[in-house]
Amino acid sequence: MCHCGLNIAGSVDCEEVAEYATTLPHVVLAQDNQYTCSDQGQAEIKNDIKEHKLNRVVVASCSPRLHEPTFRKACEEAGLNKYLFEMANIREHCSWVHLYDRKSATEKAKDLVKMAVAKAALLQPSEEIEVPIARKALVIGGGVAGIQAALDLADTGYKVYLVEKEPSIGGMMARIDKTFPTMDCSICILAPKMSDAGHHPNIELLSNAEVTEVKGYIGNFRAKVLKKARYVTKDCSACGECAKACPVIAPNEFDVGLATRHAIYTPFIQAVPSTYIIDMNLCLNKQGVIVCDKCTKACERQAIKFEMKPETQELEVGTIVVATGADVFDPSGLPNYGYGKFPNVITSLEFERLINAGGPSGGHLIRPSDKQIPKRVAFVQCVGSRSDKNGRLYCSNVCCMNTIKDSLLIKEHWPDTGIYVFYVDIRAYGKGFEDLYKRAKKAGVVFIRGLPAEIVEDKKTHNLWLIGENTLQNELYRISADMTILSIGLEARKDSEMIQRLLTLSRNQDGFFLEAHPKLRPVDAATGGVFFAGCAESPKDIKDSVTQASAAAARAGILMAKGKVTVEAITPIIYAGKCKACGLCVKVCPYNALVLDKDRKQVSVIEAACGGCGTCAAECAFGALTQNHFTDEQITAQIDAVTEHNAKKKIVAFCCNWCSYAGADFAGVSRMQYPPNVRIIRTMCSGRVAPKFIERAFVRGAGAVLVTGCHIGDCHYINANYQTQKRVERLWKKMEQNGLDRERLQLLWASAAEGERFASKIREMQPKVENVKTEEIEKARKVFEKALGGS
Amino acid sequence: MPERIKHAPLDKDKIKQPRAEIHLLKDQCKGCGYCIEFCPKKVLEESDEINIKGIRPPRIVDESQCIMCGFCTAVCPDFAIFVVEKPPTENAKHA
Repeated sequence: MCHCGLNIAGSVDCEEVAEYATTLPHVVLAQDNQYTCSDQGQAEIKNDIKEHKLNRVVVASCSPRLHEPTFRKACEEAGLNKYLFEMANIREHCSWVHLYDRKSATEKAKDLVKMAVAKAALLQPSEEIEVPIARKALVIGGGVAGIQAALDLADTGYKVYLVEKEPSIGGMMARIDKTFPTMDCSICILAPKMSDAGHHPNIELLSNAEVTEVKGYIGNFRAKVLKKARYVTKDCSACGECAKACPVIAPNEFDVGLATRHAIYTPFIQAVPSTYIIDMNLCLNKQGVIVCDKCTKACERQAIKFEMKPETQELEVGTIVVATGADVFDPSGLPNYGYGKFPNVITSLEFERLINAGGPSGGHLIRPSDKQIPKRVAFVQCVGSRSDKNGRLYCSNVCCMNTIKDSLLIKEHWPDTGIYVFYVDIRAYGKGFEDLYKRAKKAGVVFIRGLPAEIVEDKKTHNLWLIGENTLQNELYRISADMTILSIGLEARKDSEMIQRLLTLSRNQDGFFLEAHPKLRPVDAATGGVFFAGCAESPKDIKDSVTQASAAAARAGILMAKGKVTVEAITPIIYAGKCKACGLCVKVCPYNALVLDKDRKQVSVIEAACGGCGTCAAECAFGALTQNHFTDEQITAQIDAVTEHNAKKKIVAFCCNWCSYAGADFAGVSRMQYPPNVRIIRTMCSGRVAPKFIERAFVRGAGAVLVTGCHIGDCHYINANYQTQKRVERLWKKMEQNGLDRERLQLLWASAAEGERFASKIREMQPKVENVKTEEIEKARKVFEKALGGS
Repeated sequence: MPERIKHAPLDKDKIKQPRAEIHLLKDQCKGCGYCIEFCPKKVLEESDEINIKGIRPPRIVDESQCIMCGFCTAVCPDFAIFVVEKPPTENAKHA
């Protein structure tokens, strides 16, 4: 029983709970201490195991998602199989969410300990199987983070596949002019890295390609990569004669449309690979008819092949680094700033291309309306960031410093330019950032607190008026500028949902990928063998992206250096005698890990392919299948423990390890308060929740049952939660048919970031449980007793 | 790159597309329609006019759209269409 300083002891009477624990069946010893996870606390566990010859250990402390591995290791060191350890989560799920109700929190903690003890009594020792790890890595995204991760892994000696969607690697950094705070030329420092990545013997660069499918598990992923046709072979020497001959002209996306390109083109001069590409949406040649062959004629090396077809390449990799980056906010939805309507309102990304010597204006800052150098320039900060109305809630992290850098760039070339920066807060938090901020102020950049309410254009001159309130001086301003730059924020990639599904990842409410632990595992995904680098995880600057990329490479390298990984022993246990060979379990298995032998009327499991969701066990109507470490008996024991006393007032909740349990943890970490009547039973997947568990809870007189899981489509086990939905719907129907209140069974999809969603569901269910009548409880008991009688 | 493009290219004025001059030898046309079918810029369409052979030759919809790929000349079985380049009006170079 851990006090966790005052984190638990502040709202739970730990001594009382420990004393209560001694009264529980099978418990021979109950201790409470300050920090059980400390060396001292762990030593105490080890000593007690040896001294008292303990054969089961329960620790009541924080979430098993945090410290289960710690305590399992301690048990193993004391000679106890780690599967004989169980945890009661009395911090995230109890003390932190019932901060002001010590009595109820203590009662709840007792219940949680009782549940853990009940399960622990039925735990069985298990051995984990080892699977080999392929010593190859897949890096998705070839921005600076992806390049760095690929280079680090390749230099360590692993084979790396670097997949980039665009024709060239380089990402956002390639488009930026200078970097802050050192004012290095962005492409000058990136280009050598791009070239290294392009030529490294251990890196296979797959540009103009997309990952379309990922199967398998940690150490043994099988990925399919669609390599779109480039229509130009590797023989291309990038001389550019073809582009000169091409009659089709279109805006160049790389320059945000500020310059033109041809249908055959290279996005920018330093592109890697330097091979040109034909944009078939623009090219005149369609469906095999060669209408125009000007480029073919111009190409001395005969590198243009119109007959090229897209190819799918299959990769077998051990680890995956997700470095898919971020999009920029589109400000055209903000009518008060007039972006897209007024020619001289541009975004910070467009500015980067304008001020870049390799950009459309050759590095001359010119305004679009008349191509003159502006005398007065305004920057508007937080466009699309830190706003619940116009854009995203979060701070995009890079825009303040980017604007300061941009203002200094203007001052460097045209010192007489008047520069106004309209801001909410200037966040110059990093190394050397404050110095740069001071330099900008010294150079005469005027910082005005308060964003303009509106930008108005003078129709004749196309000059702009910025109107708003200076909140430091409490006065209105009306400032004219020749050009206005909207400092746009970063947002999650629009296609990150696809990557999320391919790799069964989670995303936070802002749409960025969610790390396994915000402090201690910041680059690991919850999915084993997957790591994050760069803006895919959250908006960050180049330095942070590179740091994270190296971290991700190191984390992936650790796995591959070991060469093998143990798979948690949570695979199905099959009781062959009970099996009727109906094949239902085989049908619901998301991994095709079960095989039905029709002749021998038996089902067998391929353990290495099993993901461990347990949905097969929930499907089996004959009790021929159960999940190791989450057996029917263990879960039933937990339900029985909850419902032993005062069941009527309690909610039995089933939470899946990856989304909703983590979401409930998040509610705890964020100290969201909710009623203390809920008791959470953890399963790996909501697909493990068999109807008989729910029926059991009602038979035992539970006030309500809550089944929670990942959002449909986001299931950690591909699609196992579809089964959950089906099963709950079936039960609802049954409840309606028997005149029961179906509201007593609730289904909630909540992601790991949706703590508030979980908490408000409990609040919403509270009055229901309070008001449920004894007759209703009895009626449900009768209905479900009949159902359970059969099994 | 998913950003929406909101501004016209700055070098828009500098780009000088070749200015085509399309010549139709209408009486030589037998109305097969290949030129209309294959023109990638859809510069030609069927006309209401009737030629010496009693069929409808093509008509030019918008000459400025022509990019002088020359495919019409190549596919015409009757040598009835050809394109020449007009001298550019401005001195700007072709990008």
